[in-house]
Amino acid sequence: MSTPLERGVDMLKSQVDTRVESYFSSCTHCGVCAEACLFYTETHDPRYTPIYKTEPLRKVWQQNFTLWGKLSSSLGLSKPITENDLSDWETLVYDGCSMCSRCTMVCPVGIDIAYLIRKVKEGMAAAGFVPEGLQGASQRALEFGSPMGLTSKGLLAAVEKQKKEHGLDIPVDVEGAEYLCMLSSNEVVLYTEFLTAISKIFSAAGITWTVSSKYFEATNTGVQMGNSVIAAQLLERLVEVATELKIKTVISPECGHAYTTFRWDGANILGRELPFNVVHIMELLDQLREEGKLKTTGSFDERLTYHDPCNISRRGGVLEQPRNLLNQVAPNFVEMNENMEMNWCCGGGGGVSSNERAEPLRLKVFNVKKRQLDELDVTTMVTSCSNCRLMLEEGLEENEMDMEVIGITELIADHLA
Amino acid sequence: MFEQFVDGIFWDIALIVFFVGIAWRLITVLLLRNKRIDYSEPRNSGFSGAIMANVRGFYPRKEVSSRIRLQVIAGYMFHLGLFVLLFFAAPHVKFIAQHITGFSYITIPYWGFIVASQFAFAGLILLWVHRVLNPVTRLISKRSDHIATILVFVVMLTGCMALGEASSELRVLHRFSVELLMIYFPFSALMHAFMFIPSRAFTGAFLGRRGVKV
Amino acid sequence: MTGIKDKKSARKRKVIFACVLSLLFVLTAPLIPYVIDAHAEDDITSKADKPAALQHPAINLWNEVRQRNEVTQGTSQVKGVDSGVLINKTGEDWRRFRMEMLMPYGAYFMGAIIAAIVLFFLLRGKLRLPGGRSGELLCRFTLNQRTAHWFAVGIFWLLGITGLILLYGRFVLIPLLGADGFSITASACKEMHNLIGPLFVFAVLALLVLYIKDNFFNRGDITWLTKGGGMFGGHVSAGRFNAGEKTWFWLVMIFGFLLCITGLILDFSIFGQGREIMALSHMIHGISALLLIAVSFGHIYLGTIGVEGTLEGMTTGYVDANWAKSHHDLWYEEISKTSEKPESSEQDINKGITSSSTKPAPNPAGD
Repeated sequence: MSTPLERGVDMLKSQVDTRVESYFSSCTHCGVCAEACLFYTETHDPRYTPIYKTEPLRKVWQQNFTLWGKLSSSLGLSKPITENDLSDWETLVYDGCSMCSRCTMVCPVGIDIAYLIRKVKEGMAAAGFVPEGLQGASQRALEFGSPMGLTSKGLLAAVEKQKKEHGLDIPVDVEGAEYLCMLSSNEVVLYTEFLTAISKIFSAAGITWTVSSKYFEATNTGVQMGNSVIAAQLLERLVEVATELKIKTVISPECGHAYTTFRWDGANILGRELPFNVVHIMELLDQLREEGKLKTTGSFDERLTYHDPCNISRRGGVLEQPRNLLNQVAPNFVEMNENMEMNWCCGGGGGVSSNERAEPLRLKVFNVKKRQLDELDVTTMVTSCSNCRLMLEEGLEENEMDMEVIGITELIADHLA
Repeated sequence: MFEQFVDGIFWDIALIVFFVGIAWRLITVLLLRNKRIDYSEPRNSGFSGAIMANVRGFYPRKEVSSRIRLQVIAGYMFHLGLFVLLFFAAPHVKFIAQHITGFSYITIPYWGFIVASQFAFAGLILLWVHRVLNPVTRLISKRSDHIATILVFVVMLTGCMALGEASSELRVLHRFSVELLMIYFPFSALMHAFMFIPSRAFTGAFLGRRGVKV
Repeated sequence: MTGIKDKKSARKRKVIFACVLSLLFVLTAPLIPYVIDAHAEDDITSKADKPAALQHPAINLWNEVRQRNEVTQGTSQVKGVDSGVLINKTGEDWRRFRMEMLMPYGAYFMGAIIAAIVLFFLLRGKLRLPGGRSGELLCRFTLNQRTAHWFAVGIFWLLGITGLILLYGRFVLIPLLGADGFSITASACKEMHNLIGPLFVFAVLALLVLYIKDNFFNRGDITWLTKGGGMFGGHVSAGRFNAGEKTWFWLVMIFGFLLCITGLILDFSIFGQGREIMALSHMIHGISALLLIAVSFGHIYLGTIGVEGTLEGMTTGYVDANWAKSHHDLWYEEISKTSEKPESSEQDINKGITSSSTKPAPNPAGD
């Protein structure tokens, strides 16, 4: 029976690959990454320096993969890694990092720090140093299929509600549909206007689509936690239902990490190509717009701005599509001063929103977004991630800012011709 | 006797350790470690992302440039100054021609050497002072960062002391410090001089495939 | 836990001290053979009697050639500055100034300052913080200001030490190293001094730009001076910088500026400077340097061991509120109305404590 430390260190050792070695060999500890990280800029606590958060992995690399490290370890000259080296980093990695990867964009030697953090989380998860909130969310996801504990009954109830309130038929378990739309529990329970919106839009565009009652959850707590085993288990469920329903394209909804997981990381987590394409709802809507299948009328005249969700824009590459859509219906759309691939994170990504312990810190770092908004004098914020939407709403409330937050899909649907 | 040691066997050792060490590090990191295939369907070329990341990495993003002005300016002063005086100063070109390449090439005039060394010294001292004073860099800096800085500074200082070529002792001291640096180089943070290229390339390719410019 | 931290920082100090000693050893090791030679030669000194002085038969002619009474410019086929001067009389004046005035008076001045500091320390001791530390920190110097200061310190001491060796080395080091050993040392110091010298220009400019704002004198400074800055008891008001600090700032600016100008003239002697300009520059350079070095001893003393709570202002950027109230009360009143107070000790963050606490830290960075 191995100890938490042994499990953690063994896992970290297995995480060292070419990229990790190149990164740690290049790092000159210049500290530039700190200036891009909202957890540092809003607290001025140097422990939130992004590369500092990767210390557990760096120590394991240094002691096991470098000449001096191996020499001094064997001669007993270096301090061995202790359990504190992992447990002390739990709050830095899980509370103080949303894996937004803004640090990656500014590193002079091109270190993908978010990639390293993801690997650190694998070690932390193996050792058992994961926040309670995330652990709970993961357990619920494995047991019920949703981190909020929402079952297929909940989904079907939401579908029924759409019929009753809006007269909309949400297709469920339709075999051979062009698109399978995944949903985050947020969208089923809280931002139900997303379901209404896509139903209207897809109907108007004449595309066939479906949701799955067997497995509908877009979020992946395994990815947030840093546990590839859980991440893979959750992904296999998606592959199973997509294969069963003979789906060619899966839609990632308004959720950040769901997109990067399905579109970019999922195949690598499973170690094989996925048997379907993946699009973000923004990509699909923009494609429909280009094809002339998404016609809008009227406009939303309020002065608004767009918050780029990190996983969709900087990590996902979906940058222009939301803007194309907004320009169609919002004549008073103004950009934030730092946007697109250099946007500031909402503070709640990477599992931070599921971590109650991190709430005070998360609300504090919202100050950067507050400053951006104060400069613009807008009445509305639009985004394409329901988690960002929730975090933004909480931040606005905390700062007593009178501003509405809406999703793009909902905005487009409200202006369908 | 020390002069013979420094000009003779210790130079051979330093040369071997330097080149073999660098080759060893590059081979083990780039070829022998797990590289992991990316199974996702790319949106754009990873190769062009890798190249562009290496090019774009040389200038800072405007969103952080005002916060990191000292690191950027002093960093370039040091690196460019050192590059120019290391590879183009007349005594160095003469040495390289005699001991490494066998051929000579263009050298900078004396005043160019002076200007380059001013930039190099100023940049290095400013960077090290900043490293010690900034709470971020003070926390994250490792022993190897300080050793590397001090070693490079000693090399530069002994070089400047030997400038008049007035005595062989000063020349030997400079050469000895250079040889120590060459031995330390492959197994230290100084390897960033080579590793930054694959590092930027990997990230550039990773994000380039996704359609994001680093 | 505190014991472990103290041991860690004590061990760190020992490691740093060991590294500095090793570095000094490496740099000075080549001189060891010369030290040995120099002392071996001491036994073989020729103490032959000097012959009695005789008057030179052509003394009048020689005096004219020597131009002792007036300097006349001749003509020469060699084109260049001063090439028409056969023998430079002013050179002797310069040499005598250097040997008979600059060096001894410079040494006396430096010695007097050191003696005054020692005496002051013996009589008054370290000026403690009245009321001890409050724990409340105020931002005194930004990262840019501290970087400029310590950059200037590094350059100043590289130049100061090499300069002092060039000036006084023959008396102190030749007995130790011998003539050959000192020749190597002096050559090394000359090269170092000349190469690093121009950087002092940037150091002085950086200090000027970053510190000039609060360094203008006002009426309160006269009161501060008449009351001896409160050094001998009693309290005296001061703003961000007191009259002593302002005096030091302007001394550095004026004499630093002179050092820069004269240093550049001396260093880059290819622009037609004649010997007279070079000699004059050297005199001003020497006087300015010795003055600044001497007064810097006072600055260093007061900034380190002399007044408790001062050094951390220039290292961490923060000072204790009690220190501010005691030494710069007017600045304290101004700053405590406007600035954000940090929530935890910057010292803790600097030691890199890896606790799980998410307490934020103060920010000494930024302009």
